[in-house]
Amino acid sequence: MQKINRNVVLALLSLTSLVFLLFQLCYYKFYLSQKNGAAFSKARGSQSGQDSTRWHVVRKFLGLISSHNIPVYLIDPLILGLVDKDIEQIRSSPDGPSPECKYFCAPRDFTTFALLDKTWKHEVGLFRTAEKMGFQWLKIINRDPRLDGMDDLSGMEIPLHYIFKLASHAIHLVVFYERSGNFLWHGPLRLKQHMDRKFVPFRKLHFGRYPGAYEKPELLLVSIDDLKVQIPKNPSSFLEEMSHSRFLECRYREARAFFQLYPDDASLDAVEFRKKAKSLLHLAALTLNNLGVKFWLSSGTCLGWYRQCNVIPHSKDVDLGIFIRDYKADIIPAFQKAGLPLKHKFGKVEDSLELSFQGQDDVKLDIFFFYEEDDHIWNGGTQAKSGKKFKYLFPKFTLCWTEFVELKVHVPCETLQYVEANYGPEWKVPVKVWDWKSSPSNVQDNGVWPVDEWDDVIQIY
Amino acid sequence: MDEWKPNPAVKPHKKRSWYLAWKYKLMNQRALRKLCQTGAVLFLLVTVIVNIKLILDTRRAAYEEEEESAQDYDDEMLNVEVPRHPVNNKKVLDVEVYSSRSKVYVAVDGTTVLEDEAREQGRGIHVIVLNQATGHVMAKRVFDTYSPHEDEAMVLFLNMVARGRILIFTIKDEGSFHLKETAKNVLKSLGSQVAPFLSWRDMWTFVGKKGGEVYGEKHAKSPALSTWGDPVLLKTEVHLTSVEDAECHWPDTELNRRRKRFCSKVEGYGSVCSCKDPTPIEFNPDPLKDNKVFDVPVAVIAGNRPNYLYRMLRSLLSAQGVNPQMITVFIDGYYEEPMDVVELFGLSGIQHTPISIKNARVSQDYKASLTATFNLFPEAKFAVVLEEDLDISVDFFSFLSQSIHLLEEDESLYCISAWNDQGYEHTAEDPSLLYRVETMPGLGWVLRKSLYKDELEPKWPTPEKLWDWDMWMRMPEQRKGRECIIPDISRSYHFGIVGLNMNGYFHEAYFKKHKFNTVPNVQLKNVESLRKDNYETEIHRLLGEAEVLDHSKNPCEDSFVPDTEGRVYVMFIRMDQEADFTTWTQLAKCLHIWDLDVRGNHKGLWRLFRKKNHFLVVGVPASPYSSKKPSSVTPIYMEPPAKEEGAVAVPAVAAAEQT
Repeated sequence: MQKINRNVVLALLSLTSLVFLLFQLCYYKFYLSQKNGAAFSKARGSQSGQDSTRWHVVRKFLGLISSHNIPVYLIDPLILGLVDKDIEQIRSSPDGPSPECKYFCAPRDFTTFALLDKTWKHEVGLFRTAEKMGFQWLKIINRDPRLDGMDDLSGMEIPLHYIFKLASHAIHLVVFYERSGNFLWHGPLRLKQHMDRKFVPFRKLHFGRYPGAYEKPELLLVSIDDLKVQIPKNPSSFLEEMSHSRFLECRYREARAFFQLYPDDASLDAVEFRKKAKSLLHLAALTLNNLGVKFWLSSGTCLGWYRQCNVIPHSKDVDLGIFIRDYKADIIPAFQKAGLPLKHKFGKVEDSLELSFQGQDDVKLDIFFFYEEDDHIWNGGTQAKSGKKFKYLFPKFTLCWTEFVELKVHVPCETLQYVEANYGPEWKVPVKVWDWKSSPSNVQDNGVWPVDEWDDVIQIY
Repeated sequence: MDEWKPNPAVKPHKKRSWYLAWKYKLMNQRALRKLCQTGAVLFLLVTVIVNIKLILDTRRAAYEEEEESAQDYDDEMLNVEVPRHPVNNKKVLDVEVYSSRSKVYVAVDGTTVLEDEAREQGRGIHVIVLNQATGHVMAKRVFDTYSPHEDEAMVLFLNMVARGRILIFTIKDEGSFHLKETAKNVLKSLGSQVAPFLSWRDMWTFVGKKGGEVYGEKHAKSPALSTWGDPVLLKTEVHLTSVEDAECHWPDTELNRRRKRFCSKVEGYGSVCSCKDPTPIEFNPDPLKDNKVFDVPVAVIAGNRPNYLYRMLRSLLSAQGVNPQMITVFIDGYYEEPMDVVELFGLSGIQHTPISIKNARVSQDYKASLTATFNLFPEAKFAVVLEEDLDISVDFFSFLSQSIHLLEEDESLYCISAWNDQGYEHTAEDPSLLYRVETMPGLGWVLRKSLYKDELEPKWPTPEKLWDWDMWMRMPEQRKGRECIIPDISRSYHFGIVGLNMNGYFHEAYFKKHKFNTVPNVQLKNVESLRKDNYETEIHRLLGEAEVLDHSKNPCEDSFVPDTEGRVYVMFIRMDQEADFTTWTQLAKCLHIWDLDVRGNHKGLWRLFRKKNHFLVVGVPASPYSSKKPSSVTPIYMEPPAKEEGAVAVPAVAAAEQT
């Protein structure tokens, strides 16, 4: 009897669980399709070529903005990726009708466009027309970062992103602003309290998680899928740029607090040094950018940016970091050509390379080369008279853009860790006496150069 | 019997037997049975796993959705909207008005909207205008009708207020001495019974609707000349009307929306808010051909003088070649009304928290504004700096467009200014003529970015220095011998009377008679001659051609210059060294031009017009042009008068502070 029971129970259970399982699978599928409803329905739409919702929405949007004379350009990474493959053909036949809808019909939730702020007036008329055409729109505004560095200025909030939604497709319009340092900046997308969080799946947007910095793109008017749009002339380099465009704003508020505690040195010497350091940095940036060598603010210059958004007047030099993999032999001649003679060269490409150039009036440009290991990054130091080697360890970091003394430059994104590694937890307190061999908290002895290598690894001019 | 009935459970029995048979069969195949059992258990497990996965997935999806808005994309700042005025949605307003010798106040629904008990201040009639639909304060004014002409200003203001607005009046100290018949009649027409009989040191309060009912009036007569009337407190109720009734019905355009927003908030701007035929707020002046300053940012520095700002922006936006997108108005302080004016014109405005006092505050505001301007327009090489109390000439941008390349190319230039300190009605003549001067006039000028970024910004005086920015900019350490280009006839007009360093007398004496160009599209003459070396050639040419005046005559007399037109005359004054301006100052005084400090000189030479003749003054022997003096001529020397204590010093201080 017991045995029978067990079997019956088992059989019944299996049956019910089978039913349940089927039910749940159905439900799961239903749930998924609901979540991606738009995508699914459009997947069907795309079968019928240009009848796709997306293509129609984009066409309507382009009509809307051209009726208001607003020059936008396409920055949608997915479309630009496709366009890039056919770039030659598209360039050669800018007006040719396209046989099939290749780009604007792929099922997506968004198409992303860019707008240069200075090329349009913030007119309300655009939105009224948009509403009449059936668009729902959302404007994301925020503080103007170009005024953040200023004492207590409060400007009007500026529009950073617009989203125009029609049917199941949305147009993400990213507003780019010109910043000092001759680059374009777009803001992060942050929703205010009262905003509709479900307006579009914000997570899926390609722009807006972080602010970004870009070069001013050259534009090209093309016709793709029978739509006339402007695109960056070189889509692949734009996409490349986009992949590491993250921008960090200087911490202006903290810098102000710092200056409350330690008033800025306004002496003539300080003013002069800052001026020289700024022009040296501009010259160095120009030289390295021309060579295509990626560099970042390091040591004291980085600390100055992070702590006070300015050059530290008593630092007496400008420090840059370069990954050794980006090292080029032309660096030294290029600097010499720019009027910066080599002052000393320590180490070699394989180990602890460090270059020092003599700027005008005693301001020195130090370039440290960084070596990547599995779990850390380091650069080396050499004491000329003893041949002693030092090693400065940093946690791994990536590079972000920032604006510094009217220049677009890289800094480590993980700036706090970087600065703390270098200057210890007390980095907020200005120190005038600094010994590069002992003061940094990340310094390690690294042996001595073999004497027979000295001529090579310790060169002083 | 019942037991005999055929068992209805025959089927189960049958089934049971089928099952038993099946089971029996299975019993024989133990292995198969085991397999089935294991299969069933596995199946159960799978169900459980799928179940868990489903739950997890749904959870995560829901969480993600929440997080998506909650984390990355959330603004860290909570923007709690604070209702600005507590009187919304009420039909009746309680109004309290108090008038006395030393204190006045007005409270609307318990909120004090005016309180003035400062000594030696706020004398006269205080007027408050409320919106009849919302109860918002739209304007607050005080007219010192103890003094002359203030009653005229009050009449002007009251006439500008739209019909239907609620007006509140109260007197502090004295408000009748210069309250003339016209003003009294206007008050009477508003429904006041007392106004026609207001007399010396009476206390008076009045609340009424313009062109409508009277809500209350109280009055206390002064018993004697030496005493004041008793304080009066008027408490009354005002019934609000609907919003529709309080607004004009302009066609619904973007411009009119701005207008509507403005007009429902503030009063006292006259026809811009008139329901019938309002004045335009968009001007669309003719564009300039080949406009070189279209992309040059314009910074307007403003304080809390919204009526001035309104006038200034009107003239600026009417100037040919203006580009409204490049205009930024910087407001020193969190004042609402100037911002309303800025928004009315659809411009962008930036407010600046005051961080210092008086002159230093203006100076810090200037620095912040200039830095912000170059931050906002990083590509700009120049910025135009204007102040809120300037009228801008119709050809202001045309003038700059023709001359700005000089500032770019000529390193010896410090600025281009639209203002000629010596350009009075009787001393300026030629709208196409430019000068080089060693002083920096300000009042509408162009600043080179490199000058600001490399030299001025890093050294800008800190707040505790209490320096005037313009005096500081004029110091030799900053100017370094560089010069400014100015027009003979100013392209800006200084109309400000109320200001930090301004008063009516001062304005009358030094600014009112200033010449201001009203001719559009003036073609500037020989702009290239303004370059450093060319200018010397030009001066030598002028001096060579100039007729030497009769130095035996009194240069202050009109007859000193012959009754001719279009000639060039030169006179020589004594100027022992570069900084000796004794005679010049006396000459400036008698010519009724700027004499409070030295302006408009170029290497000891001043250029102006007298009786429509070009009139050159050369300081001998300090000026390098002294060589042009015929040996027979003795330079004129004018003795400064014996100093009067005080009388001279007061305007001199004021002048030193004011551009």
